[in-house]
Amino acid sequence: MKRLKLPPWLVLLLPAIIILSAVVLIPLVFSLYSSFTSYRLTRPDSIFNWVGLFNYEKAVTDVKFWAAFGRTVLLLAVALNLEMLLGLGLALMVSKVTSGQRLLRTMMMFPMMFSPILVGFQFKFIFNDNVGLVNNALQSLGITDQAIPWLVDGNLAMFSIIFAEVWTATSVFGILILAGLYAIPRDPLEAAKVDGCTSLQSFRYVTLPFLMPFIYIAMAIRSLDVARAYDIVQIMTNGGPARRTELLWTLIGRTGYVDARMGYANAMGYISIFLAIFFTVYFFKKLTQSRRELGMGA
Amino acid sequence: MRTFLKGASSAILATAAAVTAVVSVSSIGQAAEFDGVTIEAKLIGGQQYEALYARIPEWEAATGAKVNIISKKNHFELDKEFKSDIAAGTTDWCVGSNHSSFASQYSALYTDLGDLVSKDTVAEFVQANIKAATFDGKLVMLPRAQFDVSALYYQKDLYEDAEKAAAFEDKYGYPLAVPETWAQVKDQAIFFADPPNFYGTQYAGKDEAIVGRYYEMVVAEGGKLFNDDFSPAFNSEEGKRALQWFVDLYDAGAVPAGTTNYLWDDLGNGFASGTIGLNLDWPGWAGFFNDPSASKVAGNVGVAPAPKGSAGVRTGWSGFHGFSVTEDCENKEAAASLVDFLTNEDSQKLESAAGPLPSRTAVWDYVSEQAKGDPYRSEVLAAFKETAATAFAVPPTPLWVETTNIIYPELQAAILGDKTVDEALADAQDSVDELMQEEGVY
Repeated sequence: MKRLKLPPWLVLLLPAIIILSAVVLIPLVFSLYSSFTSYRLTRPDSIFNWVGLFNYEKAVTDVKFWAAFGRTVLLLAVALNLEMLLGLGLALMVSKVTSGQRLLRTMMMFPMMFSPILVGFQFKFIFNDNVGLVNNALQSLGITDQAIPWLVDGNLAMFSIIFAEVWTATSVFGILILAGLYAIPRDPLEAAKVDGCTSLQSFRYVTLPFLMPFIYIAMAIRSLDVARAYDIVQIMTNGGPARRTELLWTLIGRTGYVDARMGYANAMGYISIFLAIFFTVYFFKKLTQSRRELGMGA
Repeated sequence: MRTFLKGASSAILATAAAVTAVVSVSSIGQAAEFDGVTIEAKLIGGQQYEALYARIPEWEAATGAKVNIISKKNHFELDKEFKSDIAAGTTDWCVGSNHSSFASQYSALYTDLGDLVSKDTVAEFVQANIKAATFDGKLVMLPRAQFDVSALYYQKDLYEDAEKAAAFEDKYGYPLAVPETWAQVKDQAIFFADPPNFYGTQYAGKDEAIVGRYYEMVVAEGGKLFNDDFSPAFNSEEGKRALQWFVDLYDAGAVPAGTTNYLWDDLGNGFASGTIGLNLDWPGWAGFFNDPSASKVAGNVGVAPAPKGSAGVRTGWSGFHGFSVTEDCENKEAAASLVDFLTNEDSQKLESAAGPLPSRTAVWDYVSEQAKGDPYRSEVLAAFKETAATAFAVPPTPLWVETTNIIYPELQAAILGDKTVDEALADAQDSVDELMQEEGVY
């Protein structure tokens, strides 16, 4: 009998294929399948109850789902841009420092070292309306005699969450942009100086284009992070009150694990993934474009 | 040959072990009933629950079994873990903490303790609790001494100031006294409030907590949350009156602005900070509120039975903790023995000594007797006993938690002014109705 002989490329790839199937492909296919069933965690046999597109129709026609979707996009847009601007400013300042730069770079990374859950608790306390740090400071300084409901008011609650997000992740932009600043060749900058560019002009037309690929990479990474924002929001407001801070993943998490409606939660999850895919594709397109402009490849 | 020898030697070893086991069991009799058995348990964690777990080694010594606590979390986290376990089929651990508000969801997970615990033992518990722990004729848990119903804590000196009393009577036309109705609570809370330094009252503002508070208020107003077929019934006059109470207090600034984000810890710490006048809260806080090292209102705390609604009914949303045994447990007798031990008279005496209310009739009498020399403790027990007499559990539907997740954002929307009371209740009722129909309840 002839032994089955696999081609060498397949043998070499087999371990990777097996691991990827086990940890990515099978769960993905399983969750996709379950989104077409009425699967409830508390009733395992409901996994065989095929309901077709019911869950998708329900999600697409649900105002609460689209409100959470819109809020997530808003959070993405505001948080990413703020983090980018602050990170850019931080990186430019740190790059000018001549001594103790290594220490500063390490300090910049401190917020990234905290678990998001702890950051959530920290800001929940800071913004507490009764015993919180911010209100106490404002009242002691005589700025207000009101207890400002930071985590309750529709706009302030979103602001508080964005503040926590920005605090924790600005350094991601800072560090990546700083790496970009070190990589900029000196010649074009010196040439700009000789040609009489002001420092603003040389920043706008020389430094910034060189930094753009780094900014887009940071944007792509952070957009995935923010699009799946869960922990900080869960701790600070749990999507409330009255759904004022409900984001996609607090809604999906509650539906899946608290309400036990995993089929429906998975359907919402699959629709939401398009958001992440859209932003990733968008930023990668931008990245390729800016690299092309710099002559760094097709 | 080698295989045979190996097989033979293991057989001899197994026989020897069995003989030893029999000998050891017979030599110490009942004491080693479950020798070598390991019971895996998932228990509620938290400082107030630990004293009971310190008794577990006594049970281990008496039975020869070992207890391995594999998870210790609060009930909301345990709930998620249990659901994941059911989904994954990993339910071969034995003993789990349970709660009357969650229990109806786990009908397939837990076994009927009626078959494992003697009828006499079951008869020693408060029968209302046993009824609330029984679903479809199945006794799914034995209650521990963590019976919960809320009574009204208040700052006593608010009622000792003659000037305040006169001003109140002038304004509202009746004398200022500890409130007996929720309408009086509202008047007084608005009267006492001086934001941001002092608030008349406060309430739990999210998750199941606010729905529970709303539920008991609906009952006190003479209404109900569900009809007998579990179709929603709260979009009624009674339901609207109940919600209006929460809205009015928020609008008047008589509760902290952040109250819609508060859960039990925030409320307890808030009252202990001395900035809240009246506080409907659980028995577990009684000791904490009157402890000078933890609370600014220590020595100034009064406790009254829960006030009544306009229907003359007291609020009395109640619940209790208990222990259950899983259906897949390998040694259910041993597990039931542990559950029995953790809820027996001595265990309940130990737990209720720290403040929580018992769920055994004899222990109720015992704690009342013990409290005789302590006026505060006697006042606490009297108030809670009175409230417990008319207490009621959550509606027995496995969809309770999910229903609360639908209702609470709507209640919040009305409180914060995003919707009117009518709109919020109509939306909540429609969504609950849709859920019930989708799940084939009717």
